[in-house]
Amino acid sequence: MAEKSKPSPDRRQFLAEAFRYAALGTLGVIGGAAFAKRYRMVQDGKCVDSGLCKECGLFEKCYKPQVWQIDPYKCIACGNCATYCVLEESAVKCVQVYPVCGYCKICFGFFEPEPHDINEGAENQLCPTGAIKRTYIEDPYYEYTIDESLCIGCGKCVKGCNTFGNGSFFLQVRHDRCLNCNECAIAAACPSGAFVRVPADRPYLLKEVEHA
Amino acid sequence: MDRRLGATDIRVFVGILIGLVIVIAVVAVIRLDTTGEKGSGLGTDFEYNLEQLGKIDPNLILFEESAKPIDTGFETTHAISIDSHGAIYVAGDKVVRVFNDGGKLLNTIELPEAPMALTVETIASEDSKSENLKIYVAMKDHVEIYNGDGKSLASWKSLGDKAILTSIAVSENNVFIADAGNRIVWCYDTTGKIINRIGRKEEDRNIPGFVIPSPYFDLAVGRDGLLRVVNPGIHHIEAYTFEGDLEFAWGEFSTGVKGFCGCCNPVNFAILGGPDPAGADDSFVTCEKGLTRVKIYDPEGSFVGVVAGPEQLVEGGKVETCDTPEECHLGGFDVAVDSAGRVFVLDTIKNIVRIFSRIEDPS
Repeated sequence: MAEKSKPSPDRRQFLAEAFRYAALGTLGVIGGAAFAKRYRMVQDGKCVDSGLCKECGLFEKCYKPQVWQIDPYKCIACGNCATYCVLEESAVKCVQVYPVCGYCKICFGFFEPEPHDINEGAENQLCPTGAIKRTYIEDPYYEYTIDESLCIGCGKCVKGCNTFGNGSFFLQVRHDRCLNCNECAIAAACPSGAFVRVPADRPYLLKEVEHA
Repeated sequence: MDRRLGATDIRVFVGILIGLVIVIAVVAVIRLDTTGEKGSGLGTDFEYNLEQLGKIDPNLILFEESAKPIDTGFETTHAISIDSHGAIYVAGDKVVRVFNDGGKLLNTIELPEAPMALTVETIASEDSKSENLKIYVAMKDHVEIYNGDGKSLASWKSLGDKAILTSIAVSENNVFIADAGNRIVWCYDTTGKIINRIGRKEEDRNIPGFVIPSPYFDLAVGRDGLLRVVNPGIHHIEAYTFEGDLEFAWGEFSTGVKGFCGCCNPVNFAILGGPDPAGADDSFVTCEKGLTRVKIYDPEGSFVGVVAGPEQLVEGGKVETCDTPEECHLGGFDVAVDSAGRVFVLDTIKNIVRIFSRIEDPS
């Protein structure tokens, strides 16, 4: 008795199967991309883009949650951080790294480029929201601190400090405010590619001391 | 009949409404800026604008660029010096390169590490028939000395981890080294022995101490036998005897062209010693960062004129020298002068040397 041959699938069946697998594959890619946005492999304290985990070969130990941060050496203080954040008050704030600061008497992150006088009068201050506090230490040194409740992350002081001083003022995403969106609106609008993902257990990128 | 007409009107109205909603939605999506191209939308109060301040009255500009810029070929440059014959020494990367004023490479001296500053001493032989060169190169924490052929003559002891040497000058038997890390000027003899420390804060001697917020701290010896040292944090150039007594100081803060702008300027200077091109022998050529300006002051510190302003030194008519923090960090240009009174500006961002000569008739 001749064996009954297996019926070949018709075109409609074939297309339906192909569509299902394609949809499944697309879902996998989207899921993977979403996972990759939030988790990246971290080895020796740094995010790496590829390679197997040194410890387990998989992702259990090496893949860690990521958060958004600004690379202070790439940031050009364009002002987009102040307005592109989905929060009403941007999660980006100016920070001050004291070991880098020169404690200048005439700080160009604090004073207008052409101040009327060298004092704390509002008309002499660079910050439009008055978010920088100037405190006398000893002649001729002054300390500058950021009032985060007033800072909107516009980066005007960052430009002044970078141009004339040591660059001790710079912008950082503050993680007590940031929602850590998968698609950060500021990152998409950043013209210098300064927005990067960093491991959540090391969420800040601080400048290093490079001066006297 | 009327009712049918009314029904038709409502359908048209709903259709128009839906069409309008679709148009508004499409326009909103098109106008949505997800790439930051349209800028922050913040007002002018939030802009940092130096454009007006960077403009210099053309009548104040006494020099013009007189030759094609010299491309040094370095990735990073730190200092420039000119010997008595007009050869141009540029220190950068881990090399000193020697050029003629046409930009031809004459010599190369390999260094063990990155240089911070250099100076060239010309020593006449005992019979005065020949000359020898001694090239002093300041590294971060010590000094290396080479002859004109690039042969190492000496390597002085390190001044420690805290030292950041930024300038060096030689006068007779004294070698002066500016140390921004320790905020002091070291005075050596020519054998490498420390013989004095100049500029430490001493109220009894009326010495204010050096205020150095960033690693720019220059010095030079004038023909009057006084050591000139920049005190950048208080915008002064101070004159010291070789024994360390402060004789006088000049300079003031001003964003206007006659003063020194920013938190800490001037970053570098040179003393015009040859035939006077600017109307006063031994006048000073100063270089500022931030608002990059090269200017001339007479020996008493009165403003004389401008060699080049931001519009001459930054391409494309831009006023700000730097965009990124890395560029800004490198943005302290160095200056040197030759015996003909020409001013050589080392652009430490583009790593080129620009040559400026006095305009014969500025009017």
